[in-house]
Amino acid sequence: MLAAYILAVEWTRAVASAALELTFAALVLGGVALALTIAGRPADQLGLGTSRLGFRVLGGLALAAVLLLPTAARSSAAPILPASLALAAVAVSIGEELAFRGALYAALEEAGGAPLAVVGSTVAWTVAHALSHPPAFLGAVAAAGLLLALWRWACRDLVAPIIGHVIADLAL
Amino acid sequence: MRRLALIAAATAAYMLAAWMVAPGFYDGLAPPQPYNWVCPAPVVAAGNLPPRSGHLDIKVLKGVSDASSAFTDDGQVVIGFLPGAFDVTGRTSISVDIQPVSPCPNPLDLHFATNTYSITATAPLVKDSNLLLRFSDRVPAPSDVYFATSLQGPWKSLGAAQQAQPFTIDTTTRQFGYFAAGYPANATRPSSTSSQLLPIAVAILIVAVLIAGIPLAILRRRRADEADRPDEEDES
Repeated sequence: MLAAYILAVEWTRAVASAALELTFAALVLGGVALALTIAGRPADQLGLGTSRLGFRVLGGLALAAVLLLPTAARSSAAPILPASLALAAVAVSIGEELAFRGALYAALEEAGGAPLAVVGSTVAWTVAHALSHPPAFLGAVAAAGLLLALWRWACRDLVAPIIGHVIADLAL
Repeated sequence: MRRLALIAAATAAYMLAAWMVAPGFYDGLAPPQPYNWVCPAPVVAAGNLPPRSGHLDIKVLKGVSDASSAFTDDGQVVIGFLPGAFDVTGRTSISVDIQPVSPCPNPLDLHFATNTYSITATAPLVKDSNLLLRFSDRVPAPSDVYFATSLQGPWKSLGAAQQAQPFTIDTTTRQFGYFAAGYPANATRPSSTSSQLLPIAVAILIVAVLIAGIPLAILRRRRADEADRPDEEDES
């Protein structure tokens, strides 16, 4: 049910944001709709919190560096995010992390343990991007989702994936 | 240790997967910028539309051609002419035509990142004109605009001026003929002025992680030492 809701929000956002006049609104509303998935869940269950904050922030910077490195090292044709969409990019990347690695991960972990949470959230993340990315990109999307989900599992932390995802989305 | 190994393996898998597609992973938040290809690569073939041509008639007033711009209907090529850009001897107007070229030329020593366009006019140029080519966000950026008077070549680099807009490359020309943007076939990393910031930003991130990691590791070590100390005192 939760996965279906997240996919519906992501696909609606992808379709709506393709229309130039709707891009900003679609991204912001999509981000808010995704963030709603964490309602009622305690912060520690979602991997949120201020303990080990230095480690979490540093982890976020490291994840951002990893996510951006292949593009930075290889080609100058990075799809640059227009400055007018920066706020919307922050909203949607935080929303995606709260939904996929936060609420969905926690729900799947409760249902079937960490392996199901890592694999299930990665599959949902990849399927959610099927409308916004050419098929050739989905391998990279899946690998990014797996990396973020493994961090969530290994460090019991969602702050670093949020920071890494926000920086990566702002850069591209 | 197993967790660290899994994250390292996932990092390697991501690097490999992102390396295999140009320009690498991105979240697709920016609206797509479709490019109309004459010869689309498989990755951009789905939904490709044929590129459009362009035509412009320029008035000649008092022996001077008007300032004007010719462009293709899909905006993939724009060429701007200054007042008096043409040799207008005996003419009252000048026609400019822009046509995408098919089949696509494939010179051995170059890789074209755009369509090749034929730009012709009914009068020769006497002043430099500004030529702008748009390129796809799904391919590596071109480093230069290339020019040839024949599709068989030779192709000559016209260089590239400072980029005014994302995913465009511009230069100046005083000749008509065939134009395409690309980079040398042996280039491992096509360069462009557009995105020098990203490598710098990533380098700063890496340095920040390394520098901030040192005090964090020292703090952690101190805490571990402090945690060990009562046990040592207990033992004594």
